[in-house]
Amino acid sequence: MPEQIDQIKRDFEAEAKDIRTADALEDLRIKYLGRKGHISNAFSLLAEIPKEEKPKFGQELNKLKKAVESQYNTLYESLKKGKGKDEYLDLTLPGRKPFIGRKHPLNQVSDEIKSIFKSLGFTIEDGPEIETDFYNFEALNMPKSHPARDMQDTLYITEDIVLRTHTSPVQIRVMQNKKPPIRMIAPGRVYRRDTPDASHSPFFHQAEGLVVGEDVTFADLKGVIESFACQMFGEDINVRFRPSFFPFTEPSAEYDFSCVFCRGKGCRVCKNTGWMEISGAGMVHPNVFKAVGYDPEKYTGYAFGMGIDRIAMLKYGINDIRLFFENDLRFLNQF
Amino acid sequence: MIISYNWLKEYIDIDLTPQELADSLTEAGFEVEELYPVILPFSGVIVGKVEKVEKHPNADKLSVCSVSTGSEEFQVICGAPNVAEGQVVPFAGVGAVLPKDFKIRKAKIRGVESFGMICSKEELGIEESSEGIWAFEEEYETGANVYDLLSKDQDYILDLFITPNRPDCLCVIGIAREVAAITGNKLRLPEFYVEEETNQKIDSFISINIEDEIGCPRYAARVIRNIKIEPSPLWMRKKLETVGIRSINNIVDITNFVLMETGHPLHAFDLSQIKGPEINVRASRKNETFITLDNKERQLPENTVLICDEERPVAIGGIMGGQNSEVSGATVDVLLEAAYFKPERISYSGKKLGLSSEASQRFERGADPNGVIQAINRAAALMAEIAGGKVVQGICDVYPNPIKPEEIKFRPEKVNRLLGSNLSSDIIFEKLKGLQLVIKNEKVVIPTFRVDLRKEVDLIEEVARLVNFSNLPSRDYTEVPYEINQPEQENINNFLRDKLLELGINEAATNSMLKAEEAEIFQQGKNITILNPISDDMTTMRPSLLPGLLKAVNYNINRNMADLRLFEIGRIFTNYKENQLPDQPYALSAVITGRRCPEAWNSDKESVDFYDIKGIMESFLSKIFLDNFKFILYDKTKYLMKGESAAVKINDEIVGVCGKIADDTIKAFGIENFVYAFELDVDKISNKINFDRKYDPIPKYPYVERDIALVLDNKISASEVIGYIDQIGGSLLNHVDIFDVFHGGNIPADKKSLAVRMRFQSTEHTLSDKEVDQTFNKIIKQTSKQFNASLRE
Repeated sequence: MPEQIDQIKRDFEAEAKDIRTADALEDLRIKYLGRKGHISNAFSLLAEIPKEEKPKFGQELNKLKKAVESQYNTLYESLKKGKGKDEYLDLTLPGRKPFIGRKHPLNQVSDEIKSIFKSLGFTIEDGPEIETDFYNFEALNMPKSHPARDMQDTLYITEDIVLRTHTSPVQIRVMQNKKPPIRMIAPGRVYRRDTPDASHSPFFHQAEGLVVGEDVTFADLKGVIESFACQMFGEDINVRFRPSFFPFTEPSAEYDFSCVFCRGKGCRVCKNTGWMEISGAGMVHPNVFKAVGYDPEKYTGYAFGMGIDRIAMLKYGINDIRLFFENDLRFLNQF
Repeated sequence: MIISYNWLKEYIDIDLTPQELADSLTEAGFEVEELYPVILPFSGVIVGKVEKVEKHPNADKLSVCSVSTGSEEFQVICGAPNVAEGQVVPFAGVGAVLPKDFKIRKAKIRGVESFGMICSKEELGIEESSEGIWAFEEEYETGANVYDLLSKDQDYILDLFITPNRPDCLCVIGIAREVAAITGNKLRLPEFYVEEETNQKIDSFISINIEDEIGCPRYAARVIRNIKIEPSPLWMRKKLETVGIRSINNIVDITNFVLMETGHPLHAFDLSQIKGPEINVRASRKNETFITLDNKERQLPENTVLICDEERPVAIGGIMGGQNSEVSGATVDVLLEAAYFKPERISYSGKKLGLSSEASQRFERGADPNGVIQAINRAAALMAEIAGGKVVQGICDVYPNPIKPEEIKFRPEKVNRLLGSNLSSDIIFEKLKGLQLVIKNEKVVIPTFRVDLRKEVDLIEEVARLVNFSNLPSRDYTEVPYEINQPEQENINNFLRDKLLELGINEAATNSMLKAEEAEIFQQGKNITILNPISDDMTTMRPSLLPGLLKAVNYNINRNMADLRLFEIGRIFTNYKENQLPDQPYALSAVITGRRCPEAWNSDKESVDFYDIKGIMESFLSKIFLDNFKFILYDKTKYLMKGESAAVKINDEIVGVCGKIADDTIKAFGIENFVYAFELDVDKISNKINFDRKYDPIPKYPYVERDIALVLDNKISASEVIGYIDQIGGSLLNHVDIFDVFHGGNIPADKKSLAVRMRFQSTEHTLSDKEVDQTFNKIIKQTSKQFNASLRE
């Protein structure tokens, strides 16, 4: 008897699983709950079992009946809600999706850069985008008529107020307000008088780094950039430093990463050199320290820049900087 | 700056391949942007021997030749008068290709077949014009490839990026000097001798007066007579051509050659056009104009250095000569100028004039005041040698305050301190000496051509780059004591961004520079405009993020993507102030348009309306823990539609607005769809966010709900009713909300039914119906009275 009860339950559940239409459900009801159904039949078998066991099996059977009825009702309700008598749930139809918010790729990369430098003990600093000539040039050892001013074609609001051409003015603002040691990066938007094309945008994004202390050396600069390169693009990325010129650093360097596409083997993108130019760096020029009232005999420091847009382009293989600012959904939805 | 590898080798022995040289220069700070061979423009030309020359039967000036290439003989028609038996010549057989893609084919010339061509240098593209075919002087073997034979002398072009601090390297000798420092090989300066005519002295031709000693610290001149203007010799033309300078005539070419060789700009005047004898160097006055040798009349900025004769200016010093005195085909006597001009003055005038020349680029970065004599003599010697000139005795050289080499204090130990290196003093001094710097006790003497060396660190850099940056140590991670001091703003922007993303809004990044008219719509005060904008599309700094977002909306709608939710967080620029920085607060704006749900087979097809943007804003504010906001009717936002715009207040301060973008605004951006937007002042909300949140216990006892439907005047706002009930509800009332608004039916037209749901709860016990009813009835009574409302059955 107990075996029979279990069997009925198992059979019902197995058959219920495949019910998709109201007709099939009605057939199922008749088969199990009908007057000559399995459960009814089971009750009639009660007569044949010993008297003392009758209450126990009676209870069991009642429980079974209730369970089957309840499952039947659930199925009935769900089929009623369905579209029609003969319809069933087409599970392959797409589900209802909510709108999804996606972070702009530049901010994703910016966040990644920030978190790498935070892990190296850097603070994140911020400063205005419209700057005075003093912060953008003068304090960075670029007095008026300095030839290096021509390296960065500047957009002016007035003769003395400019759209910052780099995030370096934030260095000055931080140093004016804080004594060493300093260990900061300043990400933000910068402006140049460049006609837009695939590799130029008149506004783009930089992250400027600055470290000042009593024993900060060029070796530390190399170490930090190497650490960043590996964390951003992988352990196998090499860094190359080449001498260059920036008025606010001395020695000045350009740094390259091994090509992130061919991993340094040489390809079309890196023009077979195996290297990709990233940005500039160097040891803070004593004149910059003087401009903020630091003693250049006591303190040394290094500064570096990096283009957030450029790094994002390398990371995602984007070949046109303008894509970042068109806000085409087909672009934004890829990130 | 373009450098020829072969030209460079004239001044220094180079044991490096062109590629190795390029790498070494790059590693020393002279980035080689391009390296490529100078390609001979022909192929398939081989060495042939002229075995036989006979007259062409049908043409007087043509010969029928037999050319042997060792293995074969070809019949070739040749028109050159100098062709002769026994000559070894470049032979282009059928299939060879000559310059301008000229393919040699079998031909019939005046009835006689020809199987190729005997070439002149001109036909091979090696020189501009040739008289006759090229008969090799060398004993080349017949059949050898001419291209291979000639490219033993293969030249390469290096395109170098010279940083603006190194004007001394804008010439071949400058680069040779660097190669000497890198390789340790010895620099070979050109040797020459100026043969002067002793019967004439320069004083009898000119004298010099420097009125503007600041602008022109040194002015020197020579006179070269009886020159013959003609094309330069091939070697000079070729040199200039390889570095990208067009040949003009021998005199102009010589000044350009010396410029490229020594880096010192020179200028040659036609002496007969100079109204002498006195040359005066002065600063320009107000409103002077001058016609430069490119035939343009230019308005001179005041204080421009002018070279004048006794009547008029004849050149803009250090920038460009004048048309009135330029060397022409008729020039016989030349006045040759070598001077030193103050960099700042050249830079200033050049910028104001919008004029940049090979000369001005060098003077504004800094020429060598003490390189003047060397340069003028080199040019004078060449004018005698090439142009047949007679050099008048003497140099007129005015140099009132000679500029002496500077001495810089130098401590070798500072090198290692800054670089983190462990270099010996010997290495350090060796590197400096390699650059022709003289070590004197604890000082280093800097030659005047090195304008970039001013401080001790500059010398440290010289050591570093010659040691090679890649040989300097790298320290893994140094413990510099630091404090974590995260600026608020940084946190806030990230925090706000994350919350908006969670609400399903895409982040955009838009241009901060707008068209003036676009900015005008959103600007409260005066537009903040750019003096030198890139284009009319980018003249004005954004006073709001909305114009950028609306442009993005338009962009996407035009591409059939009309269901949009975009936001941006960024700086906006307001409150123009004369000669001060404007306000540049961070703003946050969002726009929504199109469907309420993403398009799908079973989704809601309705478009967004005011309550969508308001709902997003409400959810956002509560997500950032600002629950005490209030929306008020607000019609003062000029780009939002009247009647569908609201403001958000927190503690009685307006922190943002939301609503439907006004019709004329939307049209100005070319959009036809409805767009709803909100804007928040990040600074105003950020100082109200309470990050120091504590947990509120979850209520232990169940709540009881009671609903009423109030029929009241249409003009009474939902927030008034909620606010009132909230205020009088007492301690048991913990939530009031509107769950339905109904017009029509048996409700009078000027009234509406507002269904209000109240939730009562105690933190201490389970509420009894009696307790709830007591409060609820009190609320009904007072509210009905307050709003003159009746209860709807």
